[in-house]
Amino acid sequence: MTDMLTYPFMQRAFVAGLMIALLAAMSGSFIVLRRYSLLSETLAHVSLVGVSVGLLFGLSPLWIAVAASLIASWLIEYLRSVHGMYSDSILAIFLSGSLALAIVIVSISGSFNASLFSYLFGSILSVSNEDLMVMAIFGSLAMVLLILFFKELYFIAFDEEVARASGIRVMWLNFMLVSIIAVIIALSIRVVGTLLIGALMVIPPVAAIRFGMGFFRTTLLSIAIALVSVLIGLSASFFFSLPSGAAIVLCLLVVFVIALVVNRR
Amino acid sequence: MKFAPSLFEVRNLSFARGGNEILKSVNLSILEGEYCAIIGPNGGGKTTLIRLLMGLEKPTSGTITLFGTEQRKFRAWHRIGYVPQRSALVDASFPATVREVVAMGRYAQRGILGFESSEDVEAIEESMEQMGVSDLRDRLIGHLSGGQRQRVMIARALASHPQVLIVDEPNTGVDVESQHRFYELLRLLNTTRRIAILFITHDVGVIAEDISKLFFVNQTLLLSQTPQQILRCDQMSRLYGTPAHIVSHNH
Repeated sequence: MTDMLTYPFMQRAFVAGLMIALLAAMSGSFIVLRRYSLLSETLAHVSLVGVSVGLLFGLSPLWIAVAASLIASWLIEYLRSVHGMYSDSILAIFLSGSLALAIVIVSISGSFNASLFSYLFGSILSVSNEDLMVMAIFGSLAMVLLILFFKELYFIAFDEEVARASGIRVMWLNFMLVSIIAVIIALSIRVVGTLLIGALMVIPPVAAIRFGMGFFRTTLLSIAIALVSVLIGLSASFFFSLPSGAAIVLCLLVVFVIALVVNRR
Repeated sequence: MKFAPSLFEVRNLSFARGGNEILKSVNLSILEGEYCAIIGPNGGGKTTLIRLLMGLEKPTSGTITLFGTEQRKFRAWHRIGYVPQRSALVDASFPATVREVVAMGRYAQRGILGFESSEDVEAIEESMEQMGVSDLRDRLIGHLSGGQRQRVMIARALASHPQVLIVDEPNTGVDVESQHRFYELLRLLNTTRRIAILFITHDVGVIAEDISKLFFVNQTLLLSQTPQQILRCDQMSRLYGTPAHIVSHNH
């Protein structure tokens, strides 16, 4: 069992996977509680545009995915908060729009190949040292911001209006939250894949909430669920040659069903 | 009459949305330690007036001064405790314990990476105690009754040690007995902690005679008087357009 850790690619996959799990679970609660779950799905598709541009021009797909995801997140939040558009319809537009754009770019470049497949579903073989570097830089930045503003983000999720009335910079923090989400999503496409990252951000908090605890404990449980699912998913991916993202998401689903059954009322 | 500093000062305030005038040249002031009520028909702009005070809406014209500072420059929002109407309606599964909700009242003062200081803990415990929700501290907010939730929301507002408490329609979803206890609590906060109170109600029946000021709002501020002046039915019919009876109750 521990043999797999002797492979450098598995070591990298584990480091990347656990980092993503921690970040996704910490930030996921905020979007789940704000009924904004599809934000993660949407930004994942936007990241795919970044990936396809990267593949087309032979640049680092991860960097461009981070940039594309960030820009889209600001646009989405701008349209939602300033123009008062419905968030679900904005997300629907961005989701299919960016997928269309990604497909066109990929068709032009003629690179519809295994490399793209790994971005869609995640691959433990694909995490390079350079990827880890990018993840370490952006991931720690996102982590620091999340910890610094955890209580404010929680207040906003609970009651945006009262948070604003008590002097919290809601608008600014909303932009910060979507930026953090955007970065986490873009970073996670290596291990989990664009089509599956939404689940890693949404299922842990949703399952944890079923246990009816306060926010602090719910967040801890949610982090635990994400970490365990990633550990099991990556191991399963190694032993059964499965795409890592799919294996992780199936583990998450099992946890979710357990949470439902244990807490049925 | 002894001098009391003005907490809120509103001059010629107007507000329109989508071409509809909702409030027109409202003038009012609330002084330290006053116990005030806003009443008026639904859709008359009561909640809008409060949202304007809290800076949640931008006035079309007019000025708002909070604690002697122009609202635009005002930063000491913790001196105002705000409990909006729909705060009584929280999702049943929202992961928030009573203790966590009350602690939010201290967030704005704690600043970046602020951990709970002993002063925070004291303020949180004291507010829960005062509103009688200490026993519920580990319960989920969504699992409480309407009346209990209401008290938790007030406890949260009190945790920042405000000098004025604004409560919008406290009766929504609360039974009659809790309503009475609730107004008694507000009154107690007013007399013991000298917190000025401003509450909205469309239920004229609850207005007791010990109110310092009563504001009738229906597009404009029609009256701002002491209750003795208002407890005359002809005034009420003028405001509501139909004959109205005021129930005055002395406990």
